[in-house]
Amino acid sequence: MIIAIILVILIIIGIFFYNSLIGKKNQVTNAFSAIDVMLKKRFDLIPNLVEVVKQYTNYESETLSKIVELRTRASAGNISDAEKAQIDSQLSTSVKGLMVNVENYPDLKANTNFINLQSTWAESEEQIAAARRSYNAAVTDYNNSIMMFPGSLFAGMLNFHPVPVLETAVEERKNISAKDLFNN
Amino acid sequence: MQFSSLAGNVALQNILATMEVERKKIASTQKKGYYFIGGGILLGIIGSVLGFPMPSIIAGLAPVIYGGIVLFKINDELQAYKHTYKRDVISEALRFLDSSLTIAPQNGIVAHEFIHSQLFTTEPDRYKTEDLVSGRAEKTAFYFAEVHAEYKTVTQTKNGRKTEWHDIFKGIIFVADFNKNFNGSTIVRPKGFGSAISAWFSTNLFSFSDKDVIKLENVDFDKTFITYGTDQVESRYLLTPAMMERILRLNHNSKYSISLSFIQSRIYIGFPLDRNYFEAPIFKSLLNPDLLNEDISTIKFMYDIVKELDLNTRIWGKN
Repeated sequence: MIIAIILVILIIIGIFFYNSLIGKKNQVTNAFSAIDVMLKKRFDLIPNLVEVVKQYTNYESETLSKIVELRTRASAGNISDAEKAQIDSQLSTSVKGLMVNVENYPDLKANTNFINLQSTWAESEEQIAAARRSYNAAVTDYNNSIMMFPGSLFAGMLNFHPVPVLETAVEERKNISAKDLFNN
Repeated sequence: MQFSSLAGNVALQNILATMEVERKKIASTQKKGYYFIGGGILLGIIGSVLGFPMPSIIAGLAPVIYGGIVLFKINDELQAYKHTYKRDVISEALRFLDSSLTIAPQNGIVAHEFIHSQLFTTEPDRYKTEDLVSGRAEKTAFYFAEVHAEYKTVTQTKNGRKTEWHDIFKGIIFVADFNKNFNGSTIVRPKGFGSAISAWFSTNLFSFSDKDVIKLENVDFDKTFITYGTDQVESRYLLTPAMMERILRLNHNSKYSISLSFIQSRIYIGFPLDRNYFEAPIFKSLLNPDLLNEDISTIKFMYDIVKELDLNTRIWGKN
């Protein structure tokens, strides 16, 4: 009788842990798709941004065409997540460069559309950073539970493997503040 | 901020000089009342000790009653004096700090908003609020007020039911317009033993609430607070690494642990305090140069939160 009760308790605990592991694994996938959504949102800003900037500047065409090209590559659809992240990082750098150069074009700087785009860009920048931090938190949580006791006992058996966290590019780390964009 | 910088304010000095006369009158009347009450009680006690309790209690009763009447009669004047102090002195000090600051002594943060802020889990059974100060620091509108929220417990004892009141919160609730757009809610509460256990439970087994525990990467922040949120990404969007540092600094500068919440485009902060603010002194002179120091530093502290949390940086699509 006692053995049966202990067995039932152990099974219940096992189910709880298994379910919580599955929950955490799904959380990782979920967090990654959040980054994806944010990236898409940011890519969608590009055409408008390019359009507005084009009207005022004559000298930034090289930067603009680079941005357009990156955007086209990002929305091609058949690229891997890693590639997408890399394109995003390049895109981010190019747009940052563009925003800094805007200082030379007072008319553009004063354009309402441009100001809106600038703040939407800054917003998306911080949202992507938040999504990446959420992803890393979910990954750490998941990794901890499969590497620590008692999860470590059956994680291998059930085919749970640790997932790497996202490293922040040196470039991004340097420009963590969206305020820099505004150069003021 | 020192009162000395306010000393040159002629209007304020005039108000204080007029009020000082009133204060002296109230103080001496109150003293008189207390002396009569004290004397009456003393008479009763001495008489009882000397062996004739009944006559001495009766004799002592008269001055006690007289003292009570004196205090009762001065009460209206006292209330008016306190009100004038807030209306004229505190509001002048506020204007001195920033012309947008105003005080409404009778108003506060209504109970509904207090509950809505989700700063505390218990709903109050008794709620008092006063001294609403509102203003604007550059682009950010804010207001704060004194709040005292309590809940009651009723226990059955052999002498009948016993009602006890316990504090949920006593202090200042500060509310400001937040500089980012968001839809859900994020709550930051001080970490205690109970909350740490319930957070572990909801992370590792299952959660009863609609909010997740948000585990943040700032170790100090995570040690000091427990964060709950309806959306993992959104909570991190609000609590950026820089914002967490600022909140920690703010918490460090407050005497007791603060609680914060981000709800419907506002930030709510609860600062527990153990004294009443903006109260007119009765037995201390109004002409004391240090009179307003403590009150002004409180207002200044609240005013500076906007700067401290960088709420005037409006580059995230919200103006």
